[in-house]
Amino acid sequence: MNKLIEELKQLIITSLDLEDVTPADIDARAPLFGEGLGLDSIDALELGVAIQKKYHVKLDASSADTRQHFHSVENLAKFIEAQHST
Amino acid sequence: MHSRHLSRSTVARPVALGNHTVLEQTAFWQRVHGLRRALAAQPARRMALVCDDSSWFAAGLLALAHAGRVCVVPQAPQAGSIIASGAHIDAVLTDRPVDFAEFATLSVTGIPPASDSTPSLPDDGALIESYTSGSSGMPKCVPKTFGQLRREVATLEQQWGGQLGDALVCGTVPHYHLYGTLVRVMWPLLAGRSFVTLTCLQAADLRHWAAEQRCVIVSSPAFLSRIADLSELPPAAQIAAVFSSGAPLPDHCAERLQRDWGHAPIEIYGSTETGGIAWRAWSGAAERPYWQLLPGMQAELREESAGPRLWVKSGFTWQSDWMPTGDLARWHTDGRLVLLGRADDVVKLEDKRVSLSEMRTRLLAHAWVENARLLLVEGRRRSIGAVVVLNATGRAHLHAQGKIPTSRELRHWLRRSYEPVLLPRKWRFPETLPDNDMGKIEQSRLQQLFASRA
Repeated sequence: MNKLIEELKQLIITSLDLEDVTPADIDARAPLFGEGLGLDSIDALELGVAIQKKYHVKLDASSADTRQHFHSVENLAKFIEAQHST
Repeated sequence: MHSRHLSRSTVARPVALGNHTVLEQTAFWQRVHGLRRALAAQPARRMALVCDDSSWFAAGLLALAHAGRVCVVPQAPQAGSIIASGAHIDAVLTDRPVDFAEFATLSVTGIPPASDSTPSLPDDGALIESYTSGSSGMPKCVPKTFGQLRREVATLEQQWGGQLGDALVCGTVPHYHLYGTLVRVMWPLLAGRSFVTLTCLQAADLRHWAAEQRCVIVSSPAFLSRIADLSELPPAAQIAAVFSSGAPLPDHCAERLQRDWGHAPIEIYGSTETGGIAWRAWSGAAERPYWQLLPGMQAELREESAGPRLWVKSGFTWQSDWMPTGDLARWHTDGRLVLLGRADDVVKLEDKRVSLSEMRTRLLAHAWVENARLLLVEGRRRSIGAVVVLNATGRAHLHAQGKIPTSRELRHWLRRSYEPVLLPRKWRFPETLPDNDMGKIEQSRLQQLFASRA
């Protein structure tokens, strides 16, 4: 899980081209959007694409609530692990 | 659709679908009448409508119009944006569980629904104020009457109603921009189609809704051009139409959607002030430059120093008179239009107009900022770059805290007034602005600051 969290932080930085930000600057539990890292809706979309490509997961179309998975790095890691264990 | 009472056939389908919720016609109109009664008892004459749920947004808009109150729709749903817009408002009508400290706040969810569930539309004269980026440096208020919105919806229905049938309307664009207000909310409401209450941020959200029924997708190039794998979208057979507006869809993107997915988006060209002007859909590269005017839209070209500027007039343009667009154009021989580019210096970012001079003015109002310049920076994602000269207080903070907390503070400051997608993504903090020997700040030298990472 911790390894996945670190990997996700790096993926966020490189896939979203975040300047000046290092993995240590990203709090795994802080909101990615709005107040925390300050990502926007375009970032959400691009991050969704990058994660599906890298981890071969599918965002679940049976629930419209993908927002919860994208709340924080930790939630993303939980989502990916859950997908891989099924 | 033209009478104040909706026809019986439109009362069959639910008004809106949410995540695990269905809002039936009866409950919706009971909300409208409940809100209308509560608003009529309020002294507030002008109210900002700040709702995240599109069905509350719709109910709030209708209730304000019914109660003879001016419905002010802020450019971005943040309290700071309401203040910065310079709009005089008396109160905020919201579905958020928070108080807008600066204003009297009326919570829509705290108001009991009425027993009356008669569908009825407000008077055509009711005022709805939208905001858009002006070129003068301040957000520009665009007042429209309910009648203008209704007439634009009637035009859309005349053009595409048959194609849409009873499809569910899903939007990837927010409902607080006039395009979203009209196409995502008012059009389905007045035509008796159901709409989805949340903005679909991922292609998976669209698959979810399209799994059960045919859908209409109300989108923009910012979304459509970023779908890397077209199988993330719902099957084309489940889609009645895709609308794209805000900016031209790149040619390769329109072609790819048609060829590899099976559905060419209908692109609508227009602006907040003019409403929809013309449309096109992919039908081969040779046809690409030509835009067909919407029914009832008149257009003419007036020569200026920059070239022939497009002017338009229709039943739903602001002030119902000839008005200029921001674009240069020419006529094709068959009466279609060819657009030749912007006539002014407001830039488009992620399909949204933004005035860099206006954003600079906001930035200069921060206590740390001595001077600033903003410019478009190309890159993996085109964004705004900020070159900021800090004053003594700002420099002390930069040295003590570092670059990230400093740029985060300034981003946070701008977030009060702008949507997140418009905020500068790259920041430079030089001691002085790079000027040439004539004392003029050259754009190319500002650009150089972003050529490599600072």
